[in-house]
Amino acid sequence: MRIYLIAFVLLFSVTIAKAQNIDSYFISKGEKPTLCSDEVFLRRAYISVTGRIPTKEKVAEFLNSTDKDKRSKLIDDLLSSDEYLTYFGNKWGDMLRIKSEFPSNLWPNGVQAYNRWVHEKLVSNTPYNQMIRELLLSKGSNFRMPAVNFYRAFPRKTPENIYGNIQLLFLGNRKTTDEGKVFFSQLRYKSTKEWKEEIVYVDYHMKAPVKQVTIDGISLPLTENEDWRTVYVNHLTDPSNKRFASVMANRLWYWIMGQGLVNEPDDWGVQNPPSKPELLESLTKKFISSGYNMKAFVREILNSYAFQCANSDVGTFKPNRLNAEVIVDAIADITGISDPYSSRVPEPFSFFPIGTHSLELGDATVSSNTLELFGRASRDVSLESQHIKELNSRQLLYLMNSSELESKIRKSPVLNELIKNQPAVSDICKAVTLTVLSRYPTPAEMQLYNSFATQNKLTTKQLCYDLAWMELNSTEFLYNH
Amino acid sequence: MKQLKIITIVFFLLFIGSIEAQQAKSIILIYLDGGPSQTDMFDPKPDATRDIYGNYKNVQQTNVPEIVLGEKFPLLSKIADKFSLIRSMTHGLNGHETAHYAMITGDLSGGSVVYPSFGAVISYKLQNSYKGILPPYISLVEANNRFNEGGFLGNSFKSFGTKGAPEKNIFEVDGLVNTFVPADKFKSRMNMLADFEAQNKDRMHGVDEAAIQKLRTQNVEMISGKLKDVFNLSNETKEMREKYGQNRLGQSCLVARRLVEAGVPVINVRTTGWDTHKVHFQKMNQMLPELDRALWALLTDLDEKGLLQNTIVMCGGEFGRTPRVLWEAPWNGGRSHFGTAFSYLVAGGGFITGKVIGKTDKTGENILERKVYPADLIGTVYKLMGIDPYGTLPHPIEGNLPMLPSLDKSGQSNGLLLELIKK
Repeated sequence: MRIYLIAFVLLFSVTIAKAQNIDSYFISKGEKPTLCSDEVFLRRAYISVTGRIPTKEKVAEFLNSTDKDKRSKLIDDLLSSDEYLTYFGNKWGDMLRIKSEFPSNLWPNGVQAYNRWVHEKLVSNTPYNQMIRELLLSKGSNFRMPAVNFYRAFPRKTPENIYGNIQLLFLGNRKTTDEGKVFFSQLRYKSTKEWKEEIVYVDYHMKAPVKQVTIDGISLPLTENEDWRTVYVNHLTDPSNKRFASVMANRLWYWIMGQGLVNEPDDWGVQNPPSKPELLESLTKKFISSGYNMKAFVREILNSYAFQCANSDVGTFKPNRLNAEVIVDAIADITGISDPYSSRVPEPFSFFPIGTHSLELGDATVSSNTLELFGRASRDVSLESQHIKELNSRQLLYLMNSSELESKIRKSPVLNELIKNQPAVSDICKAVTLTVLSRYPTPAEMQLYNSFATQNKLTTKQLCYDLAWMELNSTEFLYNH
Repeated sequence: MKQLKIITIVFFLLFIGSIEAQQAKSIILIYLDGGPSQTDMFDPKPDATRDIYGNYKNVQQTNVPEIVLGEKFPLLSKIADKFSLIRSMTHGLNGHETAHYAMITGDLSGGSVVYPSFGAVISYKLQNSYKGILPPYISLVEANNRFNEGGFLGNSFKSFGTKGAPEKNIFEVDGLVNTFVPADKFKSRMNMLADFEAQNKDRMHGVDEAAIQKLRTQNVEMISGKLKDVFNLSNETKEMREKYGQNRLGQSCLVARRLVEAGVPVINVRTTGWDTHKVHFQKMNQMLPELDRALWALLTDLDEKGLLQNTIVMCGGEFGRTPRVLWEAPWNGGRSHFGTAFSYLVAGGGFITGKVIGKTDKTGENILERKVYPADLIGTVYKLMGIDPYGTLPHPIEGNLPMLPSLDKSGQSNGLLLELIKK
């Protein structure tokens, strides 16, 4: 045991020494990107960390601040906000396919317990390896030991399906061989007298396979009266299993930067090599040596040039269309009118009060036309590509000409508050642009808006609505750039 | 040389043989969401007890001796020669969400792959040949959102839900018909947007602005062009509107006919409220006459316009309802979910009509003859639409998967409904 410990400490210190920081990688490649402006940084950071846009007061405060550490301070603020927990919880929900109905069929009670579990892990910033151990070694009631919902979220709960999902989620393997399924063959399920409760338990009486199980060239012996999952999970989460750390490091990079070093982030293998292998290697080491600290890792990415660069093509931040939830919640924040959400499953946990943001739903069964239109993750599969990133004609139709959006603009308590005191045209333009695009309008834009107002003989009210409509339709609004 | 000719001819014949004979150009599904009661509609049991037939002891004799309908279908009874009934639909599922999925995708295989709805499959298969500007798959007025109907084909093949209310004076179609914004206002806004985007180009480095602009231009064409007239029911006579019934279902069916005329291949008229656990008969007294009228109007209208032979009309829900009435509290005369034996109506598009497929027993609780599974019905629809039901679909991870994994599998299928296809 002591030898192991010493070896571990040694390994630990070596990896720390080797881990390079992100900026020095780009500098060493002669690719030091130029920094983006404060206004671009602000919106990018808000959307990437919280999935929400800043209020116009926040925008003004940040842009007017002269503190030279204001970027890193903002990053710290955002990472300690509730919105960060909600947004990243939602990303985990997409991975784990948290959904009350088909095909996960977790039911609302299970969904809320499972979401709660994810939320707690994020609040305590539980190390990734520990979180996955807890998830994969769970057993008991779906209400009382929520992590067991991992083993319930399958239309067919077979060892093949479970093992395949683990390979995809934690190792990025889209294709798997059958040999590992045996580790999950002891799992059993039983219902109780409580409505929709299900106990996941381990059948210790199963005969151990005669043949030794070999994974990644390592033989993992199985004996009776033990939970075979432990054998597999020890192997999976061992620091020597670099792939396990790499996949999550790369996934976090993908979440923040809009593209992975391995892209798609759940398609690993020789057929899809990383774009910057050295960077990925050093990020992996950093992630392992930090004790699989996800928040620290995200913080480092956010503070790097790679994230804060002006739009460029060197494998740094990539402009990407906002996720469906982010668009829908931004429209709700801008207009002050959110969509009503309800579940058809009549349970106490399926009630969503007015003003609920779509990122707070936590259940892919609860949806709206607009969320579906912009392609929110269906949670049918654990692929990042289930977030639709394309901008298509129907989505633009909705923005350009739907009565729904138009009536939200006209009835908007936020916009109507702006025009209440008959402000000057320039004030309207400033307020709307701060609200929708999170920045001040440029002089050229002010001129454009002014001449538009005069030409069309618009009242301030009409101008306000038209401007809100136009900015909501702009590419700048629709993209995290 | 001669050999070559023969080989060519042989290949040509093989080629001809491999093309599915397409009879249908469009399909209209009248989807009775919640699960309609077959006992009160298409499979009445007047000779059973009151526990089965409930409040409807009478039946309608039709113009086809073999077909008898529930008493609330007087109009459909006059045109029973224009449709066929499947009285032996089954999948054995009694939960809404799984039954919806099975009925709309045909998949009973129970794997971890989520299949696309048949409408999504048809839109996918027709993506190169369909040239219309309107979306190829339209739902009136809302899509079935109980599962992800794009399945593994993805978001772009889901149906376009119109929203709005066709029974109102103006049918506001989401994004297409908007009563708030007059045309000149829309135009001036678009101009300002174009100016703004031009100024803003540098900021959006890395985004394909040209592609977005192209989509916007197409949309402007759709919004300001004649296309939206398809949804304008004031182009129909008052008599025609009344023929279909001045209600959501009736007017949706009328819009569906107009969409068929516009060449839209898949139309889903989704009507809700059929999940009648309680006060079932009171609800049926109101809903069945509306359905009777809407279906009758649609079938006769399509027929008179010569469209029925190329248009499939299909009507049913995700399952049926228990033939046995639950008289006790809290149901007080309700019917529950029933996936064991239920009915579907099919017409047009190459379906043989005036025929009944399958048979249930005295109470309607068991199937006696020719079980029909979802894959059998949907596979037959594919065949009529010129799509090979034994073909494949591309899955993002799994490669090509069979389009209907359940087809011809024992316990999940009983084979295509070849006996219902016109030769």
